[in-house]
Amino acid sequence: MSAPSLQPLPPPDGILDEMLAEAGTARAHYERYAGWLASMSPEAMAGKRAEADLIFRRIGITFSVHGEDGDTERLIPSDVVPRIIPAAEWEVIERGLVQRVTAINRFLTDIYGGQEILRAGIVPEDQVLANDQYSVPMVGVRVPRDVHAHIVGVDIVRHRDGQYYVLEDNLRVPSGVSYMLSNRKMMMRLFPDLFGRYRVRPVEHYPALLLQTLRAATEVDDPTVVLLTPGRFNSAYFEHTFLAQQMGVELVEGQDLFVRDGCVHMRTTGGAQRVDVIYRRVDDQFLDPLTFRADSMLGVPGLMAAYRLGNVAICNAIGTGVADDKSIYPYVPEMIRFYLGEEPVLRNVPTWQCRRPDELSYVLEHLPELVVKEVHGAGGYGMLVGPASSRAEIAAFRERLLARPANYIAQPTLSLSTCPTFVEEGIAPRHIDLRPFVLVGRETRVVPGGLTRVALRRGSLVVNSSQGGGTKDTWVVDGD
Amino acid sequence: MLSRVASHLYWLSRYLERAENMARILDVGHSLALLQGSDDERSAIEPLVITDSVAAFQANDRPATPDEVARFLAWHPEYPSSIVKCLEASRENARAVRGAITSEMWENINDTWLELHARRTAREPIGAAFFDWVKERSHLFRGITFATIRRDQPYLFIRLGTFIERADNTARILSVKQGDATARRASSGDMVTDYYRLSAVLRSVSSLEAYRDIYRDAIDSRRVAEMLIFDPSVPRSLRFCFDEVERILGELPQAPGKHPRRLAAHMLALLEHGELDDVNHVGLDAFLERFLRNNVRLGEAVNAAYMEVK
Repeated sequence: MSAPSLQPLPPPDGILDEMLAEAGTARAHYERYAGWLASMSPEAMAGKRAEADLIFRRIGITFSVHGEDGDTERLIPSDVVPRIIPAAEWEVIERGLVQRVTAINRFLTDIYGGQEILRAGIVPEDQVLANDQYSVPMVGVRVPRDVHAHIVGVDIVRHRDGQYYVLEDNLRVPSGVSYMLSNRKMMMRLFPDLFGRYRVRPVEHYPALLLQTLRAATEVDDPTVVLLTPGRFNSAYFEHTFLAQQMGVELVEGQDLFVRDGCVHMRTTGGAQRVDVIYRRVDDQFLDPLTFRADSMLGVPGLMAAYRLGNVAICNAIGTGVADDKSIYPYVPEMIRFYLGEEPVLRNVPTWQCRRPDELSYVLEHLPELVVKEVHGAGGYGMLVGPASSRAEIAAFRERLLARPANYIAQPTLSLSTCPTFVEEGIAPRHIDLRPFVLVGRETRVVPGGLTRVALRRGSLVVNSSQGGGTKDTWVVDGD
Repeated sequence: MLSRVASHLYWLSRYLERAENMARILDVGHSLALLQGSDDERSAIEPLVITDSVAAFQANDRPATPDEVARFLAWHPEYPSSIVKCLEASRENARAVRGAITSEMWENINDTWLELHARRTAREPIGAAFFDWVKERSHLFRGITFATIRRDQPYLFIRLGTFIERADNTARILSVKQGDATARRASSGDMVTDYYRLSAVLRSVSSLEAYRDIYRDAIDSRRVAEMLIFDPSVPRSLRFCFDEVERILGELPQAPGKHPRRLAAHMLALLEHGELDDVNHVGLDAFLERFLRNNVRLGEAVNAAYMEVK
């Protein structure tokens, strides 16, 4: 069996490729990579890919061995071609992220406090206060440093105009950072010579930064930090164990914690031990059966009371989901202007809110060209991708939209950029997005790069790992 | 360390040790049946008696032949003390705390589980080869644990589970194979049967060579009991197990462990300073029964002290 050529295939017309310029030559920041790739034999590259799979099985997603009947947990494929971002471009992204997350934290403090932005009429009151994600128990709760969202994963795409657009701010329990770290580890092991050709900004210190961020979430000196997981049946359990181990903190389940005298403790072999900061990877409604869902077995009875007393910090705070809801998303640029008095550095995707009659009628007229999403949806479910849908599908969706217009927003179909990816047919263009991780502690920091997700099927725009997506190592490189 | 983690580690090793012991008991029963060439029902159900499984087996409504008994104790998918169920419980406990054990330990225990299923699917006969395999996997896990894990609380709880379970097993084997009634019956029998019966007991606890080295004489039932109860150099003796248990409890956090430490010290004192005459005074059955009861209480005390923090 002969391996396919390593000559990168050109992207379809009208699509921006991260590596290849219009003439088919490598862009400046990819030149050295292209030169290196040309020196590789297809067989050697295929061998590296097989090795990557093996390493990933062993060090990356070691939870794939689970099953009584084979693998019940899927491996998320990791591609061997890096996504490279020039430092100058990254610095703009970074500035935009810090600005955006700062404004969002101000917004969260405001809507659970003085509600100035509502009184100023910038964001409609009912869209915040009547939102499912607005957490009434949080009203009037002050959190240390006024930070509600400590760990944020912002989804960004690059359009054919070369601009980066924010698609979504994930403010609840964003995941994926373990893949970012595993990808880098794998690439450094497989291609040490490439790291000699580029000055790639490091990401390995993420767990240390995360720990610093968590420790800064409380006023307590030398706090005890724990990571709260829903348990080993959660799809991100590997990441939970990985981060807890990297940070050297206990990985706890709800049953390991209890509240006594308004304080949270964990059950240890040396007796009860006070807990000061909880990095929770459990959703709001499961955190405390006394306050939220009474049937939750994952939470800690009385946790919310201890939290309201200020005796424990929870990261991210409860009720952050209201700010990453798709119905609030269109207002983020206004928040930036309102709270910071600045113009947004990163753009939003233009969004029509179907709750507004005039915007709804536009959406109804243009359904075949638009992407229509449910306001509370996630993971690429419950949405219409107009250009990829049949007339019957569009007609059916129109009925759903008309029945509950306030439940939907619409956006133009973006043409996501592509990045060369090692697939069956060779090095072929595949659509990608980017999820950088923002940490808000004493200061706001972004680890250079983030997680690049790639849609492995030709032409597909869906990068979600639940729907056939893979990941890539993401390099921010100095120089050109 | 988290109490839940301690509990998973402790039970991971108890269940593995239990699977190994079940294999030992079945192995001896199996080879004795071959030697005697008889279908004597009493010896056929002996493995059930040792492991408190008679009622569960009878509920199953199968004839009490050595093969049926072995199949039940090795493969029964619901019976909590069957080998397959113990290995499953061991792996489930390991899986819950993968971060607390080394990857080598996890891979070993997971491989055991996968291979067990392969053997089951292949309908491998339940015989010496299978029992050897179970013992070998258990030995391997202990070796890997010894060689790879940091000497800290996780290691201590794994060892604690091993020795509490092992003491239980040795006491049970002694009680059924050497108890007063059995001994009386056997003493009227011929020497050859006696020899096989006693050497089988020793082999089931890997102590036949030890016996020869220590006594350099014919196998005598009194000495078998003496060695398996009091000898500090034989790794499956009650004394050896409790030397370990006491040392481990001494290294665990002291404040919560007062009650289990007191129980263990008391049990060890009897083993360390006692002798066979004391045992004969109360009778071997009564002695072992009390030991088993105390061992259960010790397990409960360990659980209350370290794994059920209120």
